[in-house]
Amino acid sequence: MGDAPTVTATMSDVTSETSSLTNATVGRRMRIVATRLDVDVATWLAAVGLHDGEEVIILRRAVLGGPLHVRTASGGEFAIAREIADRVEVCGA
Amino acid sequence: MNSPRAHDRDAPSEERLGRRQTVALVGRPNSGKSSIYNRITGGSARVGNYPGITVDILEAEVALPSGTRAIVADLPGLYSVEANVARDTDEGVARTFIDRLRADATESFVIVQVLDPTRLALGLRLTHELACAKLPLVVVLTHEDVLAAEGREIDIRRLSERIGAPVILVNARDTGARAPLLAAIDDRLREPQTTLPHTEYEPATIARDVLHDVKETTDTLRQRTLTERLDAVLLHPIMGPALFVSAMALVFAAVFLVADPMTALCDGLLGLTRRRFDDLLGKGLLASFVTDGVLAGAGTVLAFMPQIVILTVALEVLDASGYLARGAFLVDRLLRVLGLSGRSFLPLLMGHACAIPAISATRVVRDPRERLTTILVIPLMTCSARLPTYALVLSTFFSERSAFFRASLFVLLYFSGILAGLVASFVLRRTATKGKSLPLVLEMPSYRVPQASVIARTAWRASRRFLRDVGTTIVFASAILWALLTIPMPGRTKDAHAPPIEASIAATLGHAVEPITRPAGFDWRMDVGLIGSFGARELMVATMGVVNGIENAEDDTTPLSQKLRDAKRSDGTPVYGVRTGLALLAFFVLACQCMSTVAAIRRETSSWKWPVFVLAYTYAAGYAAAVLVYQIGGLLGIS
Repeated sequence: MGDAPTVTATMSDVTSETSSLTNATVGRRMRIVATRLDVDVATWLAAVGLHDGEEVIILRRAVLGGPLHVRTASGGEFAIAREIADRVEVCGA
Repeated sequence: MNSPRAHDRDAPSEERLGRRQTVALVGRPNSGKSSIYNRITGGSARVGNYPGITVDILEAEVALPSGTRAIVADLPGLYSVEANVARDTDEGVARTFIDRLRADATESFVIVQVLDPTRLALGLRLTHELACAKLPLVVVLTHEDVLAAEGREIDIRRLSERIGAPVILVNARDTGARAPLLAAIDDRLREPQTTLPHTEYEPATIARDVLHDVKETTDTLRQRTLTERLDAVLLHPIMGPALFVSAMALVFAAVFLVADPMTALCDGLLGLTRRRFDDLLGKGLLASFVTDGVLAGAGTVLAFMPQIVILTVALEVLDASGYLARGAFLVDRLLRVLGLSGRSFLPLLMGHACAIPAISATRVVRDPRERLTTILVIPLMTCSARLPTYALVLSTFFSERSAFFRASLFVLLYFSGILAGLVASFVLRRTATKGKSLPLVLEMPSYRVPQASVIARTAWRASRRFLRDVGTTIVFASAILWALLTIPMPGRTKDAHAPPIEASIAATLGHAVEPITRPAGFDWRMDVGLIGSFGARELMVATMGVVNGIENAEDDTTPLSQKLRDAKRSDGTPVYGVRTGLALLAFFVLACQCMSTVAAIRRETSSWKWPVFVLAYTYAAGYAAAVLVYQIGGLLGIS
C-alpha cells in the first residue's frame, strides 16, 4: 500500500468479467488476474501463494468487515484483510 | 539423489574436518521445522551468536553418521528468498543468516527445507527459489502420519528426480526419523557444494504429479476435512468469537485455579525449610540473612513457578494446534480499528507469558509502524512476572472470598491489561506512530495435535530461565535488600520506640518517597518494594518478603499474605486495606517495571527514544490509575 509504485499483473487470456476479491461470491472458484499493490507487497504475496493465475475460493467472511478466509488451489488457506482483497482482481475460474 | 553414497562414511576428508559444518533448517511458518529440529538434535538447544543477527536462533551440535560434527540452526520461518523484506523481520533474519553462510568461505553448509506435504505446491515454490539461489539443498517432508491418515501418498523418488535434490519423508514424532535425517544431511555435506538442484520446473505441476490419493474411506475423508469442519465451528460468526473469548478466559483462570494449590504447596515447603534453617543456624545475622533475606525473597518468588509453566504450556499448545492463527482472523477487525492487525495478535498474546520473546516475535509483523506500535504496547500485557504480586494481593485481601471470585478477579486483571494495550495502541496510531499500514495477510495452518515432547521442552526452557533468574538476579537483589534493610542509615538517630528496621537505609529511602505515593495509599514498605522492583517486577513480592521477614523475624513461618493482613499501625488500624491492594494492582497492570523489556525494546527499535517513552508513559499511567483507584475507593467507602 502506501505511496510506492504499483504493479498490475494481468493475464492475457482473461475472458470473463473481473471483480475485486472482496466482492466475489463465497464458495465460488475464482482466478486471480491482477494485483493492484505496490511491487514489494505483490511479490511477497506471490511468494506466499497468492499470485497471478492462482485459483482461489472464499470460504467465509469475518463479521463487521473483518478479513476474508480464502483457500487456494495449491492447498493454502489465508486470512486476507478486505483492504488487500479490494486490490486483487479475480474472474470466474 | 537417493542413490548409494559415493564416499566411505567412516573416512571424512581432511578438508571437511577443517571446515565448520552448518545445517540451516528453513521452511514456511508452521511447516513443522521445530519438530524436525527437536528430532535431529534430541531437543538440546543453545542460543547461537551470529554477527549482525540479534534474534535468538536456536542451535545445537550433532554428530553425523560419518563422525564429523555439524551445527544445526533453526531459522525463523520464511516464504521467499527473492521478495524484498525488512532486515528486522523474521524473514529478514532468516535471509541474513543464509546470506552469511553463502559469503563465508570457511564454512560448508546445507539448507534443509522442511516442507508440509499437505501443502506441497506452496512449499515447492520456496524450494524453487532456493534452487534458483544456487543453494545446496535437502528437502524434508514432515507429517508422514497425517498424509497416511488422509489416504494420500507421495512419490518421493519422482519428486527427488524432478527437483534434483534429496527428499525424505518422515514423521517427526517417530524416534526412528533421526537416523535417515542425519544420513541425508551427511550425504549432502559430502557432495561438492557445486552440486545444485534443478531450476526448470513449475511447483504446482510437480505437486500434482507426485501427490496421489490412494485410499478413500470414511476415515480418510473425515481426516481430509478435519480443518474445514473445525473451522465451521471455531470461525462461526457468533460461536467463533464466543468460543475464542471463553478459551482465553479459561487459560487465564486455569493459571490461577490449577496453580493456586501448587503455589500453596510450595509456600508450605518454604515454611518448613525456613524452620529447618532456624533450627540449624539459631538466631543471628547469618540466620537472618538466609531466612529473612534469601529464603523470604527468592523463595517466595519460586513458589510462583507453577503459574509461569502452566501459562507457557497453554500458549504453546494453542499455537502448535493452529488455533492462534484463527484467533488472529477473529480479532483482526477489532485490532484494525485500533491501528493494528491480526498479525500483532500473536506477539500480544505471547506478551502474557513474557514481554521479551513477545517483543522479538513482533518480527512476524511486516509493517514497520504496526510493529513499533505492537512493541510499545506489549509491556501492558499481563506477563507472568506480574502474577506473584497479583496472587499476593488476592490472597491477602480476598482470601475469605470463593476461589471462583478470586479467579474472576484474576481474569479481570488480564483483560484490564489487554484493554490498556488496546487503548494505548489506539492513541499511539493517531499520534506517535500514525500513518498507513499494510493490512493482514496471514496463512492459516491446518489443525494439528501438538507434539508433547516439543511442548515439554518449551515448558522446561521457561522453567529453567525462571529458575536461573531466581537463582541469580533475585537472590542477589534479595541479599542487597536485606543489607539495606539491616544497616542503619548513617547519621539517622534511632527512635527508641520504633523497630530497628525503621532506621535502615532502605526504610529511609521509602519514607522519602512516601509523600508522593501516599495519595495511592502506599506506605514506606510498599515504596521500598516499588523501588526494589523497578528493574524486575517479580522483585516486589521478594522485597515485601524481605521487609516483613526482617520486621517480623519472630514470626518467620507465617505466610507473607497473613503478615500483610495483620500489619497494624500504632493506633491499631490496619496498615493495608482492600483499596490499597486494588491501587497496587492498578499500578502493576500499567507500569513497565522490567529492565529486560526496556533492553529488548532498545534492541528492536535501535533507539533509546522508544524505551524511555515506554517507561515514561506506563509509569505515569500506573501512578495516575493507582491514585484514582485509591481515592475513588475511599469515596465509595471501601476500607
